[in-house]
Amino acid sequence: MKGLKSCFVKSFSHIYVEEGIEENPLTKEILKKFPKALKVRIKHYKDVFCRPRQNFFVQESSRKLILAAKKGELLYRGPDICHDFGNENFYYTSPALNCIYSCDYCYLKGMHPSANLVIFVNVEDYFKEVEDILKQKPLYLCISYDTDLLAIEGIIALSAMWIEFARGKEDLKLEIRTKSANYSAISYLVPASNVILAWTLSPTEVIKKYEKNTPPLELRLKNIIRAIGDGWKVRLCFDPVLYFENWETAYENLISRTFSMIPADKVNDASIGVFRIPRDYLKRMRKNFPPSEIIHYPYIETGGVYTYDEEVKGKIIEKLWSLLKKHIPEDKIFIL
Amino acid sequence: MFYIVTAYHAEAKPIIEYFGLKKVVKNSRFQVFAGEEVALVESGPGVVASACATSFLLAEFEATDRDAVLNIGIAGAKNINLKKGDAILCHKIIYHDTKRAFYPDMIARHDMKEGVLETFDFPVIKGNFPEDRIEGDAVDMEGAGFFEAASFFLPPHKVHCIKVIHDYLEGVRVEPSFVSDLIRKNLPLIEGFMSSLESIDYLFSVGLSGKEKEIIDKLAGNLKLTFTMTHQLKNLILFYLSKHERLPGELYDFLNVRVNSKSEGKIYFERIKKLLC
Ligand code: SF4
Repeated sequence: MKGLKSCFVKSFSHIYVEEGIEENPLTKEILKKFPKALKVRIKHYKDVFCRPRQNFFVQESSRKLILAAKKGELLYRGPDICHDFGNENFYYTSPALNCIYSCDYCYLKGMHPSANLVIFVNVEDYFKEVEDILKQKPLYLCISYDTDLLAIEGIIALSAMWIEFARGKEDLKLEIRTKSANYSAISYLVPASNVILAWTLSPTEVIKKYEKNTPPLELRLKNIIRAIGDGWKVRLCFDPVLYFENWETAYENLISRTFSMIPADKVNDASIGVFRIPRDYLKRMRKNFPPSEIIHYPYIETGGVYTYDEEVKGKIIEKLWSLLKKHIPEDKIFIL
Repeated sequence: MFYIVTAYHAEAKPIIEYFGLKKVVKNSRFQVFAGEEVALVESGPGVVASACATSFLLAEFEATDRDAVLNIGIAGAKNINLKKGDAILCHKIIYHDTKRAFYPDMIARHDMKEGVLETFDFPVIKGNFPEDRIEGDAVDMEGAGFFEAASFFLPPHKVHCIKVIHDYLEGVRVEPSFVSDLIRKNLPLIEGFMSSLESIDYLFSVGLSGKEKEIIDKLAGNLKLTFTMTHQLKNLILFYLSKHERLPGELYDFLNVRVNSKSEGKIYFERIKKLLC
């Protein structure tokens, strides 16, 4: 029996390129970064991404890259299970599908048929759709939901492109959510007042156990300090909050560590979100992944969404609320 | 289990010898050879024959997604960078007739070359067929049929075409002993790939063991659990196993309980739930 590493081909060993985008400058830029990868021409990204019977769990150990142009609808209404942070016209968009990290609880494992990373290179089409909407109404747009955009900034500088696009557009507010420690990739940019950099923070125990490949808490906090210092609006997302043995101590430590490093008065706002996941995604994860405290926890289903029972949920919110409000004004804390 | 599909006996022969396969004596349209870990079918030439034989083999042996299937055979090369005798692991298979393409998941480590295979319904001979209409690096007459059929049964990282370059589409006569030699020389490389596939399967198998499944079935029957409760029980067992190495001893006590009504079963189910949470 071979060891883990020796039986897998390296991630991004193959790059699948959709017909018609070969000349796109972003395609060329990405391909240049992977000179050794085998390029495979495909008609449509779904020919590879949506093959039947793919094994997400196995693919995570050898992800491939798919470059494509997204057609049809590019912006979607923000789902009810996500925070709108008091904003009207809450939309999200997916410039990429899937993530280079691998959190045990990530809904992407239940949402997508494949673990491969798709990058849509037709960023100009996205910008055009945003501009069309802005002609009618203001927009609050989250661009890093179905991926961690800042984490792949080294592959393609999409965060930077979106920030530059958003700059000066008063009716557009952008959220870029990340667990990465990749702030340096955009630190050369002048902060944009309508862009919020949102960091997801979790206790060290959670990061070690359930957020595979993500940077440790200290690194995330150091990145936040730099971003705040440079003048960026920063949001802290305590989301998802998980329930496990000694969770209270873990979150106490997390909040105290966070505010021992970060100037609380410089934080734009914060969110608390108890772990929740659409029923069908969780079902698929339970079928396709090994036993996991997170995936196989006996959640309660309400309206097609699985989460902790009311008692646990209440305890979590109360605890996090009481911890957070010591540092952040109540009107800046959003709960879901 | 590994399943192998070849078109001709000359391709199958070295594989049968290498893995020590024995002929399966059964009245069937196809010649089948099997050992403990490998089963092989000879399909005969052509896309349809290959698809039929693949489906037959995988259905007959009740293949599950723990298994893998390989199409091994010779091919002609359009790409002159490929040498005669090179084994090519195909990362794209095009069916020339429909232009439909198939993509195996290239996850398992291997030491072969890679390329695109194009499957034709007729033998392609340079001069008789415009070369610029061949998209593949290599050309055969089975791959696409095999792949489409196998994809009904197995995940894409467990379905692969391996083609050994035999000629450069000059329309040369196929000499069986030369074909066997070409395949035989590549079997250590192919076996290395099989070993990667096997390791991945071993390390990434998901779900309950046979014994745990048996416990669930028994509890569901004895305690008259509903479909939903049985499903919850399976989930609770997985939840418990995520934190502990083995199931709690107390759970086995419930195996001796038999209830007379569903409501009585529900009481026991609640007790099991507490035990596993
Ligand atoms: S960082 Fe976010 S998107 Fe990436 S795996 Fe974790 S939860 Fe999913």
